[in-house]
Amino acid sequence: MSTRAPEEVDVVIVGAGAAGSVHAAVLAAAGRSVVVLEGGPPRKPGDLYSSQMWARRLKWTSPAAVNGGADPAGIAFNGGHGYGGAALHHYAVWPRFHAPDFGMASDHGRGLDWPLDYETLRPFYDRIQADVGVSGDAARETWRPPGAPYPLPPLPTFAQGETIARGFAARGLHTAPLPSAILTQEYKGRPPCIMDGWCDAGCPIGALANPLVTYIPRAVKAGAVFRSGAHVTRVVMDAAGGRAIGVEYADAGGALHVQRARAVIVAAFAIETPRILLNSVVDKHPCGLGNASGLLGAYLMSHPSIIVFGMFDADMQNYMGPTGGQLLNQDHFGKSATPGALGSRQWMIAQALKPNDLLGISMSRPDIVGPALAPFMHKAARGLGNMVALCEPLPDTANRVTLSAARDAHGMPLAEVTHRYGADGKTLIAAAAIEGAAIMTAAGAAETWRSPIGGQHLMGGCVMGSDAARSVTDAFGRVHGVPNLIVAGPSLFPTASAVNPTFTVHALALRSAELLARNWAQFA
Amino acid sequence: MPHNAPAPGRRNVLKSGALLIACVVAGEAARLTPAAAHAAAATPRVLTAAEAVTLGHFAETLVPGACAAGVVEFVDSQLAADATESLLIARYFGVVPPFHDFYRGALAALDAAARAAHGQLFAALAPEPALALAGSLLAGPPPGWSGPPAPLFYLAARGDAVDVVYGTAAGFEALGIPYMEHILPPRRW
Repeated sequence: MSTRAPEEVDVVIVGAGAAGSVHAAVLAAAGRSVVVLEGGPPRKPGDLYSSQMWARRLKWTSPAAVNGGADPAGIAFNGGHGYGGAALHHYAVWPRFHAPDFGMASDHGRGLDWPLDYETLRPFYDRIQADVGVSGDAARETWRPPGAPYPLPPLPTFAQGETIARGFAARGLHTAPLPSAILTQEYKGRPPCIMDGWCDAGCPIGALANPLVTYIPRAVKAGAVFRSGAHVTRVVMDAAGGRAIGVEYADAGGALHVQRARAVIVAAFAIETPRILLNSVVDKHPCGLGNASGLLGAYLMSHPSIIVFGMFDADMQNYMGPTGGQLLNQDHFGKSATPGALGSRQWMIAQALKPNDLLGISMSRPDIVGPALAPFMHKAARGLGNMVALCEPLPDTANRVTLSAARDAHGMPLAEVTHRYGADGKTLIAAAAIEGAAIMTAAGAAETWRSPIGGQHLMGGCVMGSDAARSVTDAFGRVHGVPNLIVAGPSLFPTASAVNPTFTVHALALRSAELLARNWAQFA
Repeated sequence: MPHNAPAPGRRNVLKSGALLIACVVAGEAARLTPAAAHAAAATPRVLTAAEAVTLGHFAETLVPGACAAGVVEFVDSQLAADATESLLIARYFGVVPPFHDFYRGALAALDAAARAAHGQLFAALAPEPALALAGSLLAGPPPGWSGPPAPLFYLAARGDAVDVVYGTAAGFEALGIPYMEHILPPRRW
């Protein structure tokens, strides 16, 4: 049985990650009373130990999901747990979506259209990058859509980046500094990066724009209240089922509470957000909130990705630089640029390497064991080069989040996650693998190989759209049929492009939060 | 540069601000580095003695130096921890908590496969057949295997061993690369 918390607030936000913290900062600054409920612990910069082992605490664990399908999604590695969410351990690779990303269905008859275009989102990209500090070289990004130049000079390149860039040049391909939400100079009181490659473990100095140093402090300063260990189970609706009146959550001891609010924002990432909405069943919404279309939970997407490796005789300084890489290539970003496939792809080049962990040196050759391992590790510790191909997944209704018959400790159904890579994504990967090997060879690698396909990022599940019959929310994340319920975060993406999502998550959240603040009376 | 696995000497451990794990030594609770716990023959808290022996042999076969670096004690300490705070790489492979079910099932399957192939427990195998059997798990379950997916266990246990051998400041130093920490892991586990 739920106990009712006495206070009603203007806004309750579910999730203290990138999207939730932007909403909290904007709405609290606009004078709204805001409570943020986060299921994980209250992280602080001092918790972010430089260790790939300790970094695993920041990731989601999956007791709340049953993960299946032909190609199970990487829900643990890509998710977050605690203040900052997935953005606390993200690599801060911040390219923009391109204009054609917003009109796949109209232009190609496949995929989905966004209910907004690039020009609508462009000013929010510009404002976010000025706000948190993004480094890059707009002129050298010949593929970049129009927008304000970066406020900070680009990331430096080290031997690994310079060497692989020569391979691109030899193949007639272009490279540019990776656009990155990592400071290259002091910016608004935050120090520059020292290029130590610990991004995955979280950046305790705040050079990388994670929510602990960007929007959470602003939200708190403006009066927002953050509660950790608050596991939200459902959105609570009024008797008529027309409006949200709060959320139910279990505290760390398992006791259930209701946080009443005039508006509810669910920003709990791509698995938990549809799970919560699916579990919010009332008479008027028998299949969950925003599910009149039957598409709540559908179109879950993860970028099919491979790492291409090259072994060099020279010292590649591969322990230096950001984890996300030093350089970018988008020469094959056009939707039809890869024969036999629809979709974009990009290269992120020269990731900093550590010896251990999922993306570390040892896992580049998981087949090497026994006496052969130490010689390999010693050679690769300085000689291994790598780059990541990120490819576009087309939205697929078979890829989705549903509710399992199994339940968690709070009695909430687990999320059942089904995922597979589509034929187009596999074709893009195959093309990237051939191209990547040629680039590494041209760069001077004595040996080159690639990883299996892995999934990067999680998007979709509560897609936005112009037509309520074919989407879950409108262009601002307002759930169809529940006007004071808003979804925020990558769940909203109708298509995924072939770029990292966090910059776009911020831009969408800023746009939505400002609409809510501006038109508060309409929502409340 | 010698191609040997790094030795977890006390100086390196202290320099690394190394992980301390809760364990039991001679019946007394203690906090030691994984390597020190191994040297002190610490009693596992979650694994049985037989499971600890099998895990140690398997990890050492895959990653020489793993036992001296304390892989058994590291895994055992993490199996005793809350899953959300676990430092085991298994959490990335879709292994559903509690993780000790995964390790227990896989270690039993490994011994069953060793019996099927050689009529002995895995820990009793000579180095060459042990390496052949251990290495085969990446491709799929060997005859006699009945348990969690063999490739997942291979990757998880190999990852655990690599963590303690190469993933610490001492491991970086032995590889000749700088650690460049912002914040070293705490001394208290």
